[in-house]
Amino acid sequence: MYGFEAMTFNIHGGYLEAIVRGHRAGLLTAADYNNLCQCETLDDMKMHLSATEYGPYLQNEPSPLHTTTIVEKCTLKLVDEYKHMLCQATEPLSTFLEYITYGHMIDNVVLIVTGTLHERDVQELLEKCHPLGMFDSIATLAVAQNMRELYRLVLVDTPLAPYFSECITSEDLDDMNIEIMRNTLYKAYLEDFYKFCQKLGGATAEIMSDLLAFEADRRAVNITINSIGTELTRDDRRKLYSNFGLLYPYGHEELAVCEDIDQVRGAMEKYPPYQSIFSKLSYGESQMLDKAFYEEEVKRLCLAFEQQFHYGVFFAYMRLREQEIRNLMWISECVAQNQKSRVHDSVVFIF
Amino acid sequence: MVVDHETPSLENGQTDKEVEENANVLQFMDSMDAYLTLIHSLSSTLRRGWLELASARHSMGASRVNTVLLDHTSHPAATSLLVTQDEGKVDSGKPHFTLCKWASSSNENSLLGEKHSSQDKLHPQLRHRGSTELYEEKTSSENKASREVDDPVQKERSKSLSMFGTLVSPKLRAAQLSFEH
Repeated sequence: MYGFEAMTFNIHGGYLEAIVRGHRAGLLTAADYNNLCQCETLDDMKMHLSATEYGPYLQNEPSPLHTTTIVEKCTLKLVDEYKHMLCQATEPLSTFLEYITYGHMIDNVVLIVTGTLHERDVQELLEKCHPLGMFDSIATLAVAQNMRELYRLVLVDTPLAPYFSECITSEDLDDMNIEIMRNTLYKAYLEDFYKFCQKLGGATAEIMSDLLAFEADRRAVNITINSIGTELTRDDRRKLYSNFGLLYPYGHEELAVCEDIDQVRGAMEKYPPYQSIFSKLSYGESQMLDKAFYEEEVKRLCLAFEQQFHYGVFFAYMRLREQEIRNLMWISECVAQNQKSRVHDSVVFIF
Repeated sequence: MVVDHETPSLENGQTDKEVEENANVLQFMDSMDAYLTLIHSLSSTLRRGWLELASARHSMGASRVNTVLLDHTSHPAATSLLVTQDEGKVDSGKPHFTLCKWASSSNENSLLGEKHSSQDKLHPQLRHRGSTELYEEKTSSENKASREVDDPVQKERSKSLSMFGTLVSPKLRAAQLSFEH
């Protein structure tokens, strides 16, 4: 019953909510980012990060550092925190935490399949997989020739199995089919996660519905923009949009027929939350759209912490850490390429 | 006074040889200046390309844009140089250079910037003034060819990006264009 979580939530979730709120306090601040943006080399960045929670993960890395090393070690910290929370969680929180990683699992499956299609070594592909999305039989993905085999040999025993019902065919795995598979899986995953949160009810359902709806809408916009000028038909594009969100169903109908960024803007500006996002962009421009969406997402994720006794704080924390890692990746690339004037193009401050 | 007829002197005291040498030096300096300008332009375009690639990686995620997805199968370069000589004049000494963009081995017609006609394959054409009719035919065929090659060029561009997925961010396409330039 909504409003009465305060009476029972702390029995099973109180400890972990306290843990995640403590982790939230360790997120980098604007002062940290200002120091990092002034670094001349990646070793300077390592020195500044040694004073943060990333210190123990970077201290043993030898010079010269590489941008991918910084991202890997920061991701390792997130993985350690997640595993600690997962092993302490009871149902239904443990299922909720597992849902958070299914997106990474989908990315890893597509990475292995795409890399195998281009004749890459499986071990090299496994090294590039996101650690949160790993599962036992992932290396066997390289053997599959089509989606039916992919499902039958490997994915039937994974949490992604229920999402495959819409894309099982005997067609060979080529670039277009893999892309459609990626987006179809992600669509099914988001819808499943949404239904799960609705079933949990209470504050979790309310907060997660908003966050997942925003995610679905953002994916719809990205699919539309990325498919402009490609062979993807309008019908196929429409099929990749999720069946929930602010844009469902009328916004999706308009996005499906868009042929350029200005038409996308025209479709999105009818919705007040997205009008503010597109108002930051000039006509015909899409370069800053990602940053505008990330800023809006961070705002919503931070609001999740304003309320207690719900699972949304775990989702929000994981996403905020991922945003932080994206920020560090961008800053390290700008420092490594001596392009510090562009560092604020993509950094999104959390606090 | 002995007058040397073999090396006639000019008004400012320079010989023909010195004048020629000066002209060569000036030409060398001009070429060097053009070379340095091109190097600078190449450097700034490459810097822009690398930053756009990083931006694409930031937008699409490290799992979609990384070195492990680079295609190890052999494929032609984006730009190739075709060097031909006039078959009719073996000793002409002047080769004909043509830059070809996105020349696919399966589609010899998808050449951008090349004067294309069925005759050219057998007789590489030197630049010359032809008849009006020939010029009009060439112009209309070139226009048609330029429209036709746009689609194959676009297809080749999409094909080379397909290792990162079919639905890629516009930032990755912008990076591709920068490296192509």
